[in-house]
Amino acid sequence: MIVNSFITELALNTGLSNLNYLYPLFLLGIVAFVILAIGIRIENPRLFASITAGALAIVFFWLYFLPGNPNLVMSGTTIYNRYGTYFAMIMILASLLVVFPAARRLSKKADIFYAILLFVNIGIIIASFSYNILVMFVSFEAVSIGTYIMAAFGKEKRHLEASLKYFFTSTIATAFTAFGASFFYISTGTFDLTAGLKVSSFQSMDIALLFLAVGFGFKMAIFPMHQWAIDTYDGAENSIAAYLSTGSKILAFVVILKIFLVGFSGDFEVVFYLFTILAIASMTYGNIAALSQDNLKRILAYSSVAQVGYLILVLAQVSYVGNTSSHAVTLAVATGMYYSVVYIFMKGGAFLTMNIVKKDKVEISDVTGLFRKSPAVAVSFSILLLALAGIPVTGGFFAKYNLFLALITGQLWWLAVIAILNSAISVFYYFRVILYMFKDPVGETDFNLSTSVRIPVIATAFITVGLGVAFQMVYLLMSVAPGLFG
Amino acid sequence: MLMVITFFLSMILAFASFFMGKKARLFSIASAWLMAILVGIYIYMTFGGGYHGGIVSQYNFQIAPSIGISFTTGVTGFTGALIALSAVIILVSLMVVEKDSENSIYGLILSTEVGLFGLLISRNFLFFYIFWEVVLIPMYFLIIRFGGAKRDRVGLKFFVYTHIGSVFILLAFFTLYNYYYLSTGEFTLDMGTLMNTAFITGHIPVFWRDFMLFGFLIGFLVKLPSFPVHSWLPDTYQTAPYPGTIILAGGLSLMGGYGLFGILLPASGIFSSTLLYFLAFLGILSLVYFSFVAMFQKDIKRMMAFASAAAMGFVTISFAVGILEHSYTQVLELSGGMFQIIAHGFIMALIFASLYYIRRNTGSEMTYGLGGIYREAPLLSSFMLAGLFASLGLPGLAGFIGEFSIVVGVYQGITWWIFFIILGMIVTASYHVWVAQRALYGPYNEHLGHIRDINRKEFATLCGLLVLIFVLGVFPNLLDGLLTAYVGGLI
Repeated sequence: MIVNSFITELALNTGLSNLNYLYPLFLLGIVAFVILAIGIRIENPRLFASITAGALAIVFFWLYFLPGNPNLVMSGTTIYNRYGTYFAMIMILASLLVVFPAARRLSKKADIFYAILLFVNIGIIIASFSYNILVMFVSFEAVSIGTYIMAAFGKEKRHLEASLKYFFTSTIATAFTAFGASFFYISTGTFDLTAGLKVSSFQSMDIALLFLAVGFGFKMAIFPMHQWAIDTYDGAENSIAAYLSTGSKILAFVVILKIFLVGFSGDFEVVFYLFTILAIASMTYGNIAALSQDNLKRILAYSSVAQVGYLILVLAQVSYVGNTSSHAVTLAVATGMYYSVVYIFMKGGAFLTMNIVKKDKVEISDVTGLFRKSPAVAVSFSILLLALAGIPVTGGFFAKYNLFLALITGQLWWLAVIAILNSAISVFYYFRVILYMFKDPVGETDFNLSTSVRIPVIATAFITVGLGVAFQMVYLLMSVAPGLFG
Repeated sequence: MLMVITFFLSMILAFASFFMGKKARLFSIASAWLMAILVGIYIYMTFGGGYHGGIVSQYNFQIAPSIGISFTTGVTGFTGALIALSAVIILVSLMVVEKDSENSIYGLILSTEVGLFGLLISRNFLFFYIFWEVVLIPMYFLIIRFGGAKRDRVGLKFFVYTHIGSVFILLAFFTLYNYYYLSTGEFTLDMGTLMNTAFITGHIPVFWRDFMLFGFLIGFLVKLPSFPVHSWLPDTYQTAPYPGTIILAGGLSLMGGYGLFGILLPASGIFSSTLLYFLAFLGILSLVYFSFVAMFQKDIKRMMAFASAAAMGFVTISFAVGILEHSYTQVLELSGGMFQIIAHGFIMALIFASLYYIRRNTGSEMTYGLGGIYREAPLLSSFMLAGLFASLGLPGLAGFIGEFSIVVGVYQGITWWIFFIILGMIVTASYHVWVAQRALYGPYNEHLGHIRDINRKEFATLCGLLVLIFVLGVFPNLLDGLLTAYVGGLI
């Protein structure tokens, strides 16, 4: 009798009836262990890459075909809805993007790398569905720890240094997050984010807000918590830099959106001021710092700090408008969703392009004469840079277009002007790279133009333009966007 | 429908010409001819039977109508003339490409044509903006791949400058879009619906109205260019290869002029008289200032860049004063401003094309490097002279009609300020004549040695342009009828 009621309760509390939502995660975990097991005998990066890609692709579609109506899973800490599904899916795309390019440079212990990539994806999926600070914290840490190891992969000590820098700063950020989460608990009596809706502003809530912003701001590399990112992206292997600056950054964005827009909905004024300042500082600093750089990977790293600035404008706008069911807010959130997927392809593609240079430290002058050597790659890379600068026909334009539209709709004209001026500044350094590519080479330059390097560049450029042509996607996402608020 | 087909065809041909290899030159010139002929047929068919204002050939390709995005096309008498102008400009600029250039230059030039056609036929702000930016990208690559000295820096400056101008247009129509939604609950980006005096004055708060006007004016005046936002102009004109310069002078000024007369004029009621006086002041300042600056240039290409900007000063003046006053001269000066844009495009194409041949045959484009080349190359010098005379506004040539209508018209509105316009015209005339006298006539500069005159094909190009300029100068009604009907439909 007691046992029976216990099981019923367990089933209710753990949502065992909704266990089907967790099967994709089990699949990823099992495949990861299988890879580790095979890895004892076989050392074939391409095989592991194929298995990983297969598993991720299956999960990608599996998530899509799961029932879309909101469902509580795992004791109500996790809400499965279309909003979470979208982000989980695009972050899986970010992983898929780097699976094959990474195989090139991994001769040893590739099994560990791919197993970790799969574990990281488990964390990503849970975090993108979760509405509980504690669960988010744990799953986010699972992702972070995985990425520390991934950042260390490579042949040189340089990678190790990058990884260590990432590890130490990130650990401090974790401490901040834990501290903030505990203050959130003190103020609301729960870790559940949706409970924040009922709580008005406390002082302890402001402390929680500040610490959580610092903690997750570190992970997302918002200015002034960005310095690790510059060094890590520069130091890490290209495909891993691509992953760190897309997958794990978008995850931080997802978490920040949920924590501050759902958890702190009683505190929108503070959220608005905080994120407006952070956004302006991030955009401006990222763009201005990128202007004076000659190291191409650092330019891309600084540009990703600036891009983060644009992304968190969504938070500024939503907290300014306040009414979470209004058209302006829905548009802003949908824009954040669209921007994320475009960002993954344009930024990931740009970092993957670095593989064409046969050096670890890529200077901007190293791409001189690329147009002569391979027009297709030069044009594709130009498209990616044009997208990052927000020039029409690319997805990057429509991302910015909708972002500015959302800001104007939310009556934040001055923020739109600042963002637009920033976007105009950014044209300088993106176009400088294009200039070098289209210059005639002075001496003999040596590029690595093997098929495995060319395909990701051309494919991402193609997808970026495709997303631009399919810009109506934003308006489809507007039906999904209210899912952010539970 | 023919115009829409022409537009899509131009897109396909421009794309194809990138993959033509050695045949690119032939292919692109053939495509440009095809475009020009199709545009000619279209204009004859549409406007040949009389035009009474308003928008014709409206088509609607719905993409996401629920949020106001659809590819809507429409042509007015004014845009029709501009489409014809851009078809001619592209053709001329293809003619003056250096023979040994890399093949991609042809694709780039045809791509600008796609952008120009697209922005002229779009009646939806989103597509207008996209094509507006599409013109810039090939221009940028033209400059950095084929330009002269300092092309990297100049190309970047050109792009960033004009791009900043463009993004303000984006903000401006977002404001309209947003307030239209707030007042009616519907989304639309249709130009005709949004650029409507009654809607704007009735539903948009004063601050946002000013914000919107500021955005549009910055965007259009940068392209024109007008006085405070012109600093990209001289370097870009000088550095760009000759085909690029012709597109800059004809095409980019055309974009600015279209912005003023095609987009802002239908909502002329929203301008305050202070703003209009300020715009007129900017126009006069541009005219006088650029004329004086041009006088001191040694490089003819750079001088003509300033001459082009000074001519655009007339356009700003006519726009501002034309809206300002409600008298019988209103139609005259507004249509004069539009006439000026079109005439200026043809004239600058003639000047820069001749200058290209002079530069190619003599190796110099400096006033002091040339001298008396009439003796060796009489045909070429004559065409250059004709271009210069047209540019200074000699009666009988196209340049005269626009300037004359404007000067006659604006006297009602700005009275004694007309003195400055006359001053600008005098200065303009003086340096034009001086260049002609110094570079084309006078004692022959023996350092040049024997120089070649133009061949038959080049003669045909220049002659075609000159005939156009002459015909427009003698029978201005061919064009003026369209423009007057367009303005008449708005007022």
